[in-house]
Amino acid sequence: MNYDREPHGLFFMIDNKSFYASVESVTRDEDPLKSVLVVMSEEDNTNGGLILAASPRAKEIFGITNVSRCRDLPQDDRITAVPPRMNLYIKKNLAINKIFLQFVADEDCYPYSIDESILDMSKSWRLFGRTPLEVAKRIQTAVHDKLGLWTTVGIGENPVQAKLALDLIAKHDDDRMGALTYETFPEKIWPITDLQSVWSIGRRTAVHLERVGIHSMDDLAHSNPYQLKAEFGIIGTQLLALAWGIDRSQLSNLIKPSDKSWGNSQVLARDYVVQREIETVIKEIGNQVASRMRHHHQQAGCVSLMIGFSYVSAETSGKSGFAHSMRIEVTESSDQINQYLIYLFRKTWDGEGIRNIAVSLSHLSSNEGLQLNLFMNPHTQIKHDLMTRVLDKVHDQFGTTALVPASSLLHGATMLGRASLVGGHNGGNSFD
Amino acid sequence: MIETSEQAAKLILERLQKDFLRKSRTIYQMLVVRDHFSQTFNFFLEIKPKNQREKSIPLHTIENYDLAYLESVIRNLQKKTQITMQFKGFHELVWPESQNRISKG
Repeated sequence: MNYDREPHGLFFMIDNKSFYASVESVTRDEDPLKSVLVVMSEEDNTNGGLILAASPRAKEIFGITNVSRCRDLPQDDRITAVPPRMNLYIKKNLAINKIFLQFVADEDCYPYSIDESILDMSKSWRLFGRTPLEVAKRIQTAVHDKLGLWTTVGIGENPVQAKLALDLIAKHDDDRMGALTYETFPEKIWPITDLQSVWSIGRRTAVHLERVGIHSMDDLAHSNPYQLKAEFGIIGTQLLALAWGIDRSQLSNLIKPSDKSWGNSQVLARDYVVQREIETVIKEIGNQVASRMRHHHQQAGCVSLMIGFSYVSAETSGKSGFAHSMRIEVTESSDQINQYLIYLFRKTWDGEGIRNIAVSLSHLSSNEGLQLNLFMNPHTQIKHDLMTRVLDKVHDQFGTTALVPASSLLHGATMLGRASLVGGHNGGNSFD
Repeated sequence: MIETSEQAAKLILERLQKDFLRKSRTIYQMLVVRDHFSQTFNFFLEIKPKNQREKSIPLHTIENYDLAYLESVIRNLQKKTQITMQFKGFHELVWPESQNRISKG
């Protein structure tokens, strides 16, 4: 394989070792590598508790994986369980990225998730050391000195190599570092037979690969490109590139999605069967999504509602739920959007118990003033519009719970309880 | 956030009351940590039921990284609650006023 024409840069993929658990350990003056701590979300809808993160020692001793259920965790007095504080983790993530900016220019630092960032070190690494490993070590030390957290660094000549180096090598390395190059790629990656452990290969793809006789990365690298494409479509060619460590993406060219949409979803704390209760929650989500959309000065031309049935209803009806969309006259009004949502709901719902609700708005267009409807009283329309704007303003200034519809106080409503959550988990004490 | 030591103590007590349920065969302790990374004092309620896992609930974070201020918060707390306090990360430091070693409690 001739790699001469492939991009040769230097990329670091850096993640935080057991991020949430490490942050919690540090705030308790404990060494994140030695503490036995789990972060447990005990929201109503987590069914007795969900483990969001476990410290390395806790994983080692009790074999916990992230997102285990709390019931899988033994009652052992060596374990400390703590509630999540999402706002704190966001704060720490920002602090970490700020440290990274001492090593790269702003435009070369790409936060990838709450605990992962990609750094394009191609231009700046020589300023900080003689070898990439030395620079990686320096970044690790800088983060640890400043925040007490340990980072893991994957190094590659392109982003995908850095990501694979992180997942497959650095995470098992005593120094928490791993490097891949075009040259070392075959030796280090091809022997892998657990295809799912490789980034971008999911369970179904792995099964599919096995079915067509591909049992290792070596097999994948040496399969016939045309057959791969015929079997997997465009993904087939991507898989082949992955097996050879090729990644031509230019991180600086951000991808602009052609049709954006706004959406929110919720897992309910119990099975909802009463129509009024379900509709209350649908409207609450509708309000939330519509308000987010208005913040971006947009209006929607399509509403979608997804309903997921409860376990029992799914068993008896043989369906897991339903999802419907409808084109609507372009609007930004919560009330109108909610009317469409309720219509979609009533049209299909047949008394099943409900556990999931998702609402989304799409076919967005920028909102340039109010389009009056000829068949309605213009004064009422203008009044409605003003009212919406005042409501949004109040919410901006005093928070979403400052002014709520009375229906949010009814039994079954979830909005008030969820207002302080971040990403569905406890945000932490508000007055910290 | 600028708060007086009384306000801080009041907030900590309020949050403490919520989970300080005084169940039997359970140790309740307040943990006070000097966090030299974020330059804050962190308060936690630690609940240790016998032979079960411990629960550690955050109560407050004090941004004012000053021992004299912390001493007055602690004094305010001790007027209202008898819960055992455990101090971590204070090493050899002493309370500015009483001159006792902090880590001794």
